[in-house]
Amino acid sequence: MTDPWPQYVLVALLAVGGGDLSGEPLRAAGSFAAIPDRQERSLALFAEASKVLLHPRCANCHPPDDRPRLGDRHLVHDPPAVRGPSNDGVPAMRCASCHQDRNLEHARVPGAPVWRLAPLEMAWLGRTPGQICAQIKDPARNGGRTLQQIWEHSALNELVAWGWKPGPGRTPAPGTQKEFGDLIRAWIDTGAACPPVTEATR
Amino acid sequence: MITLRVNGAEHSLDADPDMPLLWALRDLIGLTGTKYACGEALCGACTVHLDGEAVRACVVPLSRAAGKRITTIEGLSRNGDHPLQQAWVELAVPQCGFCQTGQIMSAAALLAANPTPSDEDIDESMCGNLCRCGTYPRIRAAIHRVAEGTKR
Amino acid sequence: MSGFEITRRTFVAALGGAVGGFALGVRLVPAAGEEADPKPIPSVFVHVGADGLVSIVCSRSEMGQGIRSSLPVVVAEELGASWNRVRVVQGDADVRYGDQNTDGSRSVRHLWMSMRVAGAGARSMLVAAAAARWGVPAARLVARDHQVLDPETGRSLSFGDLAVAAAALPVPSPESVVLRADAERTRVGTALPLIDGPAYVTGQAMFGADVRLPGMLTAVIARPPVVGGAVARLDDTATLKVPGVRRVVRMPALTFPVLFKPLGGVAVVADHTWAALRGRAALVIDWNHGPHAAYDSASYRDALTASVRAPGTVSRNTGDADRGLATAARVISAEYHVPHLSQSPMEPPAAVARVDAKRCEVWAPTQDPQGAQAEVAKALGLEPSQVTIHVTFLGGGFGRKSKPDFVVEAALLAREMGVPVRVQWTRDDDTRHGYYHSVATQRLDAGLDATGKVVAWRHRIASPSIGWTFDGTADRLDEGGLQQGVFDLPLAIPNVRVERCPAEAHVRIGWLRSVYNINHAFAVQCFIAEIAAATGRDPRDMLLEVLGPARILSPAEAGIEKNDNYGATLAEHPVDVGRLRRVVEDVTTRAGWDAARKAGRAVGLAAHRSFLTYVAVVAAVSQDGDRPRVDEVWITADPGPVVNLDRVRSQFEGAVIFGLSAALHGSITAKGGAIEQANFGDYPIVRMGEEPRKIHVEILNGHRVPGGVGEPGVPPVAPAIANALFALTGTRTRALPLLGAPATSA
Repeated sequence: MTDPWPQYVLVALLAVGGGDLSGEPLRAAGSFAAIPDRQERSLALFAEASKVLLHPRCANCHPPDDRPRLGDRHLVHDPPAVRGPSNDGVPAMRCASCHQDRNLEHARVPGAPVWRLAPLEMAWLGRTPGQICAQIKDPARNGGRTLQQIWEHSALNELVAWGWKPGPGRTPAPGTQKEFGDLIRAWIDTGAACPPVTEATR
Repeated sequence: MITLRVNGAEHSLDADPDMPLLWALRDLIGLTGTKYACGEALCGACTVHLDGEAVRACVVPLSRAAGKRITTIEGLSRNGDHPLQQAWVELAVPQCGFCQTGQIMSAAALLAANPTPSDEDIDESMCGNLCRCGTYPRIRAAIHRVAEGTKR
Repeated sequence: MSGFEITRRTFVAALGGAVGGFALGVRLVPAAGEEADPKPIPSVFVHVGADGLVSIVCSRSEMGQGIRSSLPVVVAEELGASWNRVRVVQGDADVRYGDQNTDGSRSVRHLWMSMRVAGAGARSMLVAAAAARWGVPAARLVARDHQVLDPETGRSLSFGDLAVAAAALPVPSPESVVLRADAERTRVGTALPLIDGPAYVTGQAMFGADVRLPGMLTAVIARPPVVGGAVARLDDTATLKVPGVRRVVRMPALTFPVLFKPLGGVAVVADHTWAALRGRAALVIDWNHGPHAAYDSASYRDALTASVRAPGTVSRNTGDADRGLATAARVISAEYHVPHLSQSPMEPPAAVARVDAKRCEVWAPTQDPQGAQAEVAKALGLEPSQVTIHVTFLGGGFGRKSKPDFVVEAALLAREMGVPVRVQWTRDDDTRHGYYHSVATQRLDAGLDATGKVVAWRHRIASPSIGWTFDGTADRLDEGGLQQGVFDLPLAIPNVRVERCPAEAHVRIGWLRSVYNINHAFAVQCFIAEIAAATGRDPRDMLLEVLGPARILSPAEAGIEKNDNYGATLAEHPVDVGRLRRVVEDVTTRAGWDAARKAGRAVGLAAHRSFLTYVAVVAAVSQDGDRPRVDEVWITADPGPVVNLDRVRSQFEGAVIFGLSAALHGSITAKGGAIEQANFGDYPIVRMGEEPRKIHVEILNGHRVPGGVGEPGVPPVAPAIANALFALTGTRTRALPLLGAPATSA
């Protein structure tokens, strides 16, 4: 990253109240109750949730190929890490060779427990919300999960949680993990409707 | 107190659990074969083995390293006679030499997992180890040489 | 012409464990009329011990160029020593071992003859001792394989057996020593072993940051983001609470000219590196940025462009280029830009110092031990003789470690703390606070006649001068910058003018492997290829036509007053256009230039003379997905005779990759006076997998005496790639880096 301000100045700014970057807000699940039609409400909830799914903090590790991405412009990961057969890198370039279980400010390296890529069948980058929705609901492509397990993953998983606490200099996913989890819960409760696969991303 | 097992020896250290392993190795234990060159896991000069996996010591905190089997370049072989070290000398791979201990540790991890890597395998596993002097062609040749030896 | 003098030395103790025997130094002696070196000192030093161990001092810093595996071999070969009974001892910045400044690709070319004389001198003393022992004429004895033999009787005595007796004999005059005939010299010039290989691969080689002294503390320094800045306000409360932090020390503020002085700032001194780093991160500092806070690379580039569109100081002139352009049938013009670059050696600067009332002892990876010695002495108010510099291995230099600012920092802090102190620069520090390669914009205008022949050539260069670093006043590139690739550029063109246009400096400018040659070669070699494209000519034919026929380029023909010629006389190292043509012909033949172009392969060519060596490069590129790839590079170099052919080959292999980083990625820019890049994420260098799959190196020998090796491979690489990219895409990129500056990620 090009950043003319040395770290000790950055820390000073943070200490003075700059803080981590803040993400966009996420609409609360409860606010969708105003939509009378259940199907429409479900679609609207998923549309809001997909702001998170397609956010760089999430989509960067759900690439459609063998290259993780980084940054808000989805640049190919530098150093050129590759997926590997188990989604966690290759010898001498395992994700965990560099990424630890927490963000490291001193090294500018993000981290969370068991840092790795989502499997190829869970690719989101470059996909439409409709395509992602279909993937999420398909046990053949969602790791054999039930919708309840999808909710648990979304609301409680530690690696997923990283999206909202990515460390200094990285824009967090919208809202909070709790809000995201609530949106998924509400989406499931309203029948887990999917938008058409061909609908373009906003 | 944190106990580190490095090259078969135990070291009890009164150190910050967040301290990167690199600084414990170099400053507290006195093993300087593992190098500092970037501090951000971008260059691989600090590569060591943690339970057999190549990791970057500049970012691995002592809390993660504690209790695990750590191997540094000093422990890779008894007398500098690991096949990679021998190939490196035979082919005169190093120029300034600073990146080479990290290169060898990464190459050793690669060969341990894949004894006969293709050029693409070498690219993917070694691309994290930078060399400013430009010794990549000889590093590649040395890895292939050891792999050839394995094949025979 | 200078001669040599052989002197006896008895500094056995200095070699640590050397046993008995005798030692010789060889120094250059100026001829009558030549300027005498005020401190004539030996340039080489060899000791033969009573145990037979031969110790040879390497009086140049080892930074990967393999000097320790080269010059000592010259001594050993003349002597007749067995290489496994030789040890190489690194010289300190000690008057005994001569000036040890390691740069300019001149270690071998300056020292190889004195190495031979030293080896031959020692040999003659051993032979004389054997002759006396056996009562036979010395002339019939042979020295080889670490012994002296009498072929007539079959008797032999080892060097160890003879060393004590030889020590008592008179030192021979250099005129009397007989250098070995070429037929006897079977080692020098071939591929020789890398003597430090085992030390490197086991982690035993000691670099600057590896030095450990009892009671040593470690310091990390927060330096002003803008050169010439100073601390306005400091809050170190949090820092002093970090466990392991001992003290926070204000460094003396920098005054202009920058020279090699430390930059100033705030040092955090701690028990170990991690504590120092944490301590520095906790500092709260307001900076007064000083006079260069407005330096902005984007607007500066506009200023350079405006500068080259107006006349400048004429420095090379034949005929009348303006008139030639005005009357030409066709004019082709182009402007080229090379940004600041950073040497970025893998080992960031680090130095250890220990100071007491009377002495300072330093361990540092320095390219210039005497320079470091002088700067430390000045900073501490000592005599240079009170300062000892131990030269460690360098984890890369490329010019950065010629500047001893980091060594002075260690000395100042060691004095302040009263214990040994290691100063450790981080990668960020090295990238942000460098002595950068000089940014340059160059404009070339060529006038062509009706047949497409170039008849006028005007070259304007706007680039801040290294001189500013030293005197603070230089407002444009000095003529020294033109010695590198402009004054020795052969042009078979009747009207040539080169002008130096204004360019202020706002950062420390220093030398980066091959220095101004990078800028000049990029502009000139791209331009010649552009002329070829504009006139439908083969670029190789165009280049050979522009260079002109084989000949010696005199200063008169070049339209210059004097050619400093890298410190060599034009008699010894003429500008030999024939050698330049030959490397062009060789590299294009090896690359299959004609067949490649016919088959539609995208190839590019460039050739350049630098540091008295002639180099030509062909690069082949192809499209790999959304990016171009450099698939294959051929490099032919004529450095004259070489010592260690394997190290020479590795230098040219490495130069291709070093040049590739500059061509594809390297860009140092400033905003608000501060450098924008910090680490390898935003100042990328070539990675494994990115390098050309095949690099073909060919070493020719077209001369009697050696030229340079470390740097000359670099300048032609970027233009060859730029020219190949043009062949690939049809679009001409005139600025480095060719792939654009790396996209930033938030």
